[in-house]
Amino acid sequence: MAGEAGHPGETRPGSEYGGRWYDRRLFGLCLGSLLVVVAGALVQVRYGSFDMTLGQAWSAVFAPEVILDGQAWRAMLLGPDVPYLGAEFPEGVGRRPLIVWTIRMPRVFVGVLVGMSLAVSGAIFQAVTRNELASPFVLGVSSGAGLAILLTLVLFSSLTAFLPLFAAVGGAVAFVLVYAIAWKGGTSPVRLVLAGVVVNMVFQSLQRGLFFFADDLGIVRSALSWITGSLTGVEWPEFRIIAIPTIVAMILALAGARQLNVLLLGSETAKSLGMRVERMRFLLSGVAILAATASVAVAGIIGFFGLVVPHVVRLVVGSDYRRLVVGCLFAGPALMVVADVGARLFLLAIGQGPAQIPVGVVTGVVGGPYFLYLMRRKQNVGDI
Amino acid sequence: MSGHGDFAGASSGHENDSGARTERDVVADGDATELLSEDLAISYPATDEPIVECETVVLPAGEITAIVGPNGSGKSTLLKAMAHQLSPDSGQVLLDGERVQSFGSKRLARELGLLSQENDSPGTFTVEDLAYHGRYPHRGFFDSLSAEDHEAVDRAIDLAGVEHLRDTEMANLSGGQKQLAWIAMILAQDTDVLLLDEPTTFLDLHHQLRVMEVVRTLNDEAGVTVGIVLHDVGQAARFADNIVAMSDGEPYDWGPPVDVVTEDLLRAVFQVEASVDAEGDTGPHIAPHHAIDE
Repeated sequence: MAGEAGHPGETRPGSEYGGRWYDRRLFGLCLGSLLVVVAGALVQVRYGSFDMTLGQAWSAVFAPEVILDGQAWRAMLLGPDVPYLGAEFPEGVGRRPLIVWTIRMPRVFVGVLVGMSLAVSGAIFQAVTRNELASPFVLGVSSGAGLAILLTLVLFSSLTAFLPLFAAVGGAVAFVLVYAIAWKGGTSPVRLVLAGVVVNMVFQSLQRGLFFFADDLGIVRSALSWITGSLTGVEWPEFRIIAIPTIVAMILALAGARQLNVLLLGSETAKSLGMRVERMRFLLSGVAILAATASVAVAGIIGFFGLVVPHVVRLVVGSDYRRLVVGCLFAGPALMVVADVGARLFLLAIGQGPAQIPVGVVTGVVGGPYFLYLMRRKQNVGDI
Repeated sequence: MSGHGDFAGASSGHENDSGARTERDVVADGDATELLSEDLAISYPATDEPIVECETVVLPAGEITAIVGPNGSGKSTLLKAMAHQLSPDSGQVLLDGERVQSFGSKRLARELGLLSQENDSPGTFTVEDLAYHGRYPHRGFFDSLSAEDHEAVDRAIDLAGVEHLRDTEMANLSGGQKQLAWIAMILAQDTDVLLLDEPTTFLDLHHQLRVMEVVRTLNDEAGVTVGIVLHDVGQAARFADNIVAMSDGEPYDWGPPVDVVTEDLLRAVFQVEASVDAEGDTGPHIAPHHAIDE
């Protein structure tokens, strides 16, 4: 074997494969996810308390008076107000494009962004803690954000306008707290998860306590929908809140995929390869927090999603984070859009009227059992 | 029990040895790197007393130095400290005369590689994926793979003898094959100094020899300085140029295998009654008889 050394010019099978990270399965996953997003979007656009035919939905989505109008796009993407509802609405735009482009499409777009940020956030946390059971919510982000939301709604109701900001800050603070508790001359994956469990328990108790201070049922309802996670009523303003942090976090996650791979080899190996492990863990956690809190800020706490989606993607493309992050970028939106179709239309479909279920209920009800199924299928859950 | 070797002096006293070794010393005089630790005292947070205390331990440039000793004698701890994975309470580690602390983490990883005792990778990584991770210290955050990276990985996979397993996933490898894959990773790191923590423990005899032969070849051909913790004194006697025998956190003796591996040492350090045939052509042969009651 040693004698074969020293033929660098020789071509070997697979040598051009070195460092190639994409493959057919990843490509298939992405393509399939895209199709699911499109199909889900069409369903969301077509059905609702104002029904259309598929053709009407299609032509409303591609209504030239909206999608070819720069001013309309500027109003939708940049604001500042809910775009052209009423008087500002350009002449000649029909009722269907109006409903589609002010209510139904932004909800799909927000769902796409929430899906990708939660999925990627979960994937990052799983690599940083080297634990498949990690997710933004296990590590305290959810309960921190939830507590901030409840505090705002119940005790500081005059500041409700800043709710998304407070949610994000609460999530970040809780994670820093978890990190600080777990720190003992360095962190370990197990200590991080255990600290997360403890912080979650305390914060959730505080949340429950706060419910007793709520003045009226409306506040309780609103608080509940934040804590359960819901896309009901999200429109362009929510899109504007989540878009930039999500895009930034996704770019950083893609750039950090190789670092995540090295972290998967364990901190000793990562360190001996020259990585400053604690610093890298902290920076990547920061990216994951940015993504998770952005989604919490618009949709509340959608449970199980950040935990389950990376698993599903891992089953298809393996543990290599260069593939996994890309897979999550596509599969997250697909699954979120589908879950939101269920959340929005389930009661309507069974004839219970126009009320909607929070999407967090759907992800919990579907994701929980699916996770159990994964657990039963695998020999050792926990290790990536 | 106290050490009786003069370790500071020992490094100069062994340059003229066998013919093969002189040849390697030629390489050593060129660009091989020496790793030296001085007055190390290392303790863990949970203990008051230092686990390891040694005056001078040298890994001479371009040679293979085996660290042996019974369980708990501090040999892995010493190796980790020399790799700058543990910060010593006092003392320093010098890489070619420069303190390892003064290296940036990536620069150190380009000079010095460490293979830990237990390694774990995701099962879906292929041998090649793993080898490419060895290039980590050679790449910037946004750098893509260079021709140099590809060559280093090809060379490493070839040298480790895992070419036929190149696209096999780690989950499908035996323990010995996995270890060779990790060796390929650390070879791709392309360092002047290589520290290996018990790389042959838990392997079958075939793979133990494979690992040791790779280390030998690497040392012969590239003049890499090797520090290797070995469980098996016989193996150390066979493959190493020098042996450091650790006992209770201190080096007990230091030198070429024929001088170090003696019946007295096995009795004093390993508490084993054994006979040693120092005349064997592959280093001293040990025939253990029985354990000595403490």
